[in-house]
Amino acid sequence: MAQHRISTKRRSLMLGAAAAALVQPLSVLAQGAEEIVIGGSIPMTGVFAFAGVGINAGIQDYVKIVNDAGGIKGRKVRYVPEDTGYKVDVSVAAFKKITSQNKVNVYYGDSTGFAKTINPELERNGNILMAGASFASELNDPKKYPHQFLVGPDYTEMFGILLKHIAKEKPGAKVAFVYSDSEFGRDPIEKSEAAAKALGLSVPVKIMTPAGSVDVSTEVIKLRRAAPDYTIFHGYILAPIPEFITQGKQQGMKSKWMGTFWTMDSSTVMKMGEAGDGFMGVMPYRYYYDTEKAPMLEKIRALRPEYQSTAYMQGFLAAMLFLESAKRCLDGNKPLTGANLKAALNSLKDFDTGGLIGVPITISGNSIPVGRVYRADMKAQKMVAASDWIKL
Amino acid sequence: MDWAYLFEISLTGIASGGLYALAALAFVMVYKATRVVNIAIGEMLMAGGYLFFTFAAMWALPLWLAIPAAVLACGLLGAVIERTMIRPLLGEPPISVFMVTVGLSSVLIGLVEMVWTADQRRLPEFMPSDPIMVGDAFLAPKVFWGAVVAAVFIAAVLLVFRYWRGGVALRATASDQAAAYSVGINVPRVFSLAWVASAMLAAISGIIVGSIGGISSSMGVFGLSVLVVVIVGGLDSVLGALVGGILIGLVEALAGAYLGGEYKLLATFVVLVVILMARPYGLFGTHEIERL
Amino acid sequence: MRIGTLKESYVADAALFDSRTQHAWLAIAATLLLLFPFVASDYWLYMACLVAINVASATGLNILTGYTGLVSLGQAAFMGLGAYTVAILQTRYGTPFLLNLLAGGVVAMLGGIVVGIPSLRVKGLYLAIATIAASFIAHFLFANFQITGGTAGLSLPPARLLGMDLDTSFRLYWLIVPVAVLMLLGAANLFRTRIGRAFIAIRDRDISAEVLGIPLLRYKLLSFGLSSFYAGLAGGLWAYFFRVVTPESFPLSMSIFFLAAIIVGGMGSILGGILGAVFMTMVPELLKLVVDLLPGGAALAVFLSPVRLVVFGALIIGFLVFEPLGLAEIWRRVRRFFHLWPFRN
Repeated sequence: MAQHRISTKRRSLMLGAAAAALVQPLSVLAQGAEEIVIGGSIPMTGVFAFAGVGINAGIQDYVKIVNDAGGIKGRKVRYVPEDTGYKVDVSVAAFKKITSQNKVNVYYGDSTGFAKTINPELERNGNILMAGASFASELNDPKKYPHQFLVGPDYTEMFGILLKHIAKEKPGAKVAFVYSDSEFGRDPIEKSEAAAKALGLSVPVKIMTPAGSVDVSTEVIKLRRAAPDYTIFHGYILAPIPEFITQGKQQGMKSKWMGTFWTMDSSTVMKMGEAGDGFMGVMPYRYYYDTEKAPMLEKIRALRPEYQSTAYMQGFLAAMLFLESAKRCLDGNKPLTGANLKAALNSLKDFDTGGLIGVPITISGNSIPVGRVYRADMKAQKMVAASDWIKL
Repeated sequence: MDWAYLFEISLTGIASGGLYALAALAFVMVYKATRVVNIAIGEMLMAGGYLFFTFAAMWALPLWLAIPAAVLACGLLGAVIERTMIRPLLGEPPISVFMVTVGLSSVLIGLVEMVWTADQRRLPEFMPSDPIMVGDAFLAPKVFWGAVVAAVFIAAVLLVFRYWRGGVALRATASDQAAAYSVGINVPRVFSLAWVASAMLAAISGIIVGSIGGISSSMGVFGLSVLVVVIVGGLDSVLGALVGGILIGLVEALAGAYLGGEYKLLATFVVLVVILMARPYGLFGTHEIERL
Repeated sequence: MRIGTLKESYVADAALFDSRTQHAWLAIAATLLLLFPFVASDYWLYMACLVAINVASATGLNILTGYTGLVSLGQAAFMGLGAYTVAILQTRYGTPFLLNLLAGGVVAMLGGIVVGIPSLRVKGLYLAIATIAASFIAHFLFANFQITGGTAGLSLPPARLLGMDLDTSFRLYWLIVPVAVLMLLGAANLFRTRIGRAFIAIRDRDISAEVLGIPLLRYKLLSFGLSSFYAGLAGGLWAYFFRVVTPESFPLSMSIFFLAAIIVGGMGSILGGILGAVFMTMVPELLKLVVDLLPGGAALAVFLSPVRLVVFGALIIGFLVFEPLGLAEIWRRVRRFFHLWPFRN
């Protein structure tokens, strides 16, 4: 009869799938002789895919460069990524899977949520140093997050760099904050307002836009009435910044427009079109096409002839810092534990990143509070430097 | 009391309400004819926006070709959806069809992400960019023209329902399917027509909304506010879509201006709850009589 | 094969598990559940805990939507209420975890009753939309108050049992799975009682139910309350499992996930809730496995997230169009085949 034929086929399919699934826990720990393993929960699909793809390529490339040069003290480096779609529970599952199948030394996490959730697990494991795509201020706390670090300044420090630049350019200026209603957006606002006041600047208005809002006309009206000299956007990637700028300019606003890391990738800013001309923001790394002397950039350009995003730079730098910490640990004949790796990271004083960051860096806590203000030149379709490298 | 500020905010609110009204119109179209609550309306809007992006930006077609092409393509999508997913569920309880549209929204988001990736994009500029001034009050041109387009379409639909045979057939099918069959109306064709028209309206709405806020795979969230608008206005009332849209636009603008950005969505949903308690069928909806 | 299952007392007739074979299968299942954590890797323990939490929550939703016919898209919000209650109590007062879980369930129950109050005025899809509103209001509450930690949320220390921290998946398994099993048994038993039958009557035709003497508002509120109690308990377990609770942890899409789970599994049956939750939780993992096994899988991996979305939506549509009674019905057909097999012509 037709009915039972279908059920049998379905049953065998289900049995096959179940069997394949059950094979998983029995897989042997895949481990070469004394390798350094970089695990990664990478958002290669989903809303953060543009960053995830870049980060993945960046880590891969640096690992290749190191392996081609003989590895770290003779040990080869292996990179084990898993896609997470930028979902916290998928990230956590990926972490558990990768750490149960490999002896992971360093790990790259995709979001603030993941970094916070996995922290207790990281403590328990004790053998992993972690960094990630997040620049959340909360993570910049060596006591609460002893085995994690940020690959750049945290969001509050990013604001700090912008505010320092503003205070130098126009003392006593009025700076408006426009941010999104999310943890990402709200993160630096309170502390940055205090920092602004400390620098003698005033914050006439702080505008929060609901997540996923399309029409920002009422917010632009509010912004216009505050008549700021500078407007800093945070918590967005692209939308609704161009709309804000277009409407603001139409209404006669004279403000200068600025943004933070995730808006400042060259391709993102160029998408703003006319509205983006003169858009400024803080970027801790050099851009792919920067012409200043930077040996690492030249290596990257040799490996990848097409433009690589700032997310690529972040992944590349993360791998560099990971492996430098591992190298210093091994140099001191210390076992690769989380605490030792972190101590090695914190021993980085005036470390030369090969030009990825324009000045030698020192990592005393959990972040790298260095950045430069770049400005968008729409005609040249490039981001050009608008300030020196600012250290906080 | 800063009257000028209030006036400016209200003006903007009413105009952005027009955007809601257009999307709400697409929703009402479907509900009126087929009694289906289409929660995927936001995603159909998104599909229209992405199709326009493909035609206008990726294939660089001229505007007068790209917009009708996007609209027609979206209409085709609506016809396909109706045939494959809605028609087979004709006699089922409304919750089943509702869940099918929930599944549909997921499928549409996935398809968009597969073809165009989840990156945010901007649509090519095509609307006039001179700011509209009403006295001292400033009105963003995109929003203004969007509202104008919405008003034109709503007026057109109202006339169509009144005077054109197809429109009358739609109203007849809406009020009593069996009777419509018996007077010779091709009810399945009316269903298809309603979905196609709804998809086309959603496409136009998507193009306008996309040119204001950019397109992304999470654009469909707009559909939730549209849902509130149609509940407030009445699920099957075209005029309700307009009035509800304006009302919600106004409420959102005032809440955002005087209370703060985080209160916008809250205010909208509080209005929803109040309407559901006081007048569950909306301001202009038809009261449904439950028969045993 | 079952023949001659006659009963000699009402108690025997109303029993949940009445035949010797059922008892045998239950014993095997219990043994498997007991042995599983000792043979499974950390990853599979993690999945098992997640599945158990989802099963518990889906069962709660099944009580409300599957058995009482009140469509709700607020399940995630009630889970959030439970999770936040547990988080606040654990971080501020350090009360024992069982107490926290119960408190979480009670708070969610109260929330559910409040959301259920319009259910007399508002029916069917309008009620569903009202629950969406409740979802957003809950999100607003979570994100904008100090006590809930605002948008950053709360992170909580692990539950302590007899001086031992429940911080690994292995240890949490022993908390989550028994609680989930108890909840399942409770739900199954509910539908042997008067209350359960009243729920079913309300689903089938609520006006007729009222005519029969069932006070509608009281029973609808009871249904909301019970289902949100389940959600709150599941949310509390979630909080102990993930140890971080943020307003973004319980989005509307999670409510849609649970509704999809009970539709795919089969509304109105406890087995449906179990099958649906297990299936919907494991499908993304199966997809990942398939992509890994295919040649050229690395390039395809980019499509994993959107494919997951499409598969999720297609499953909902597919089940509704082709098998509206869900996986439970497929299971029943398989069982029926085996029961009747000797008599097949």
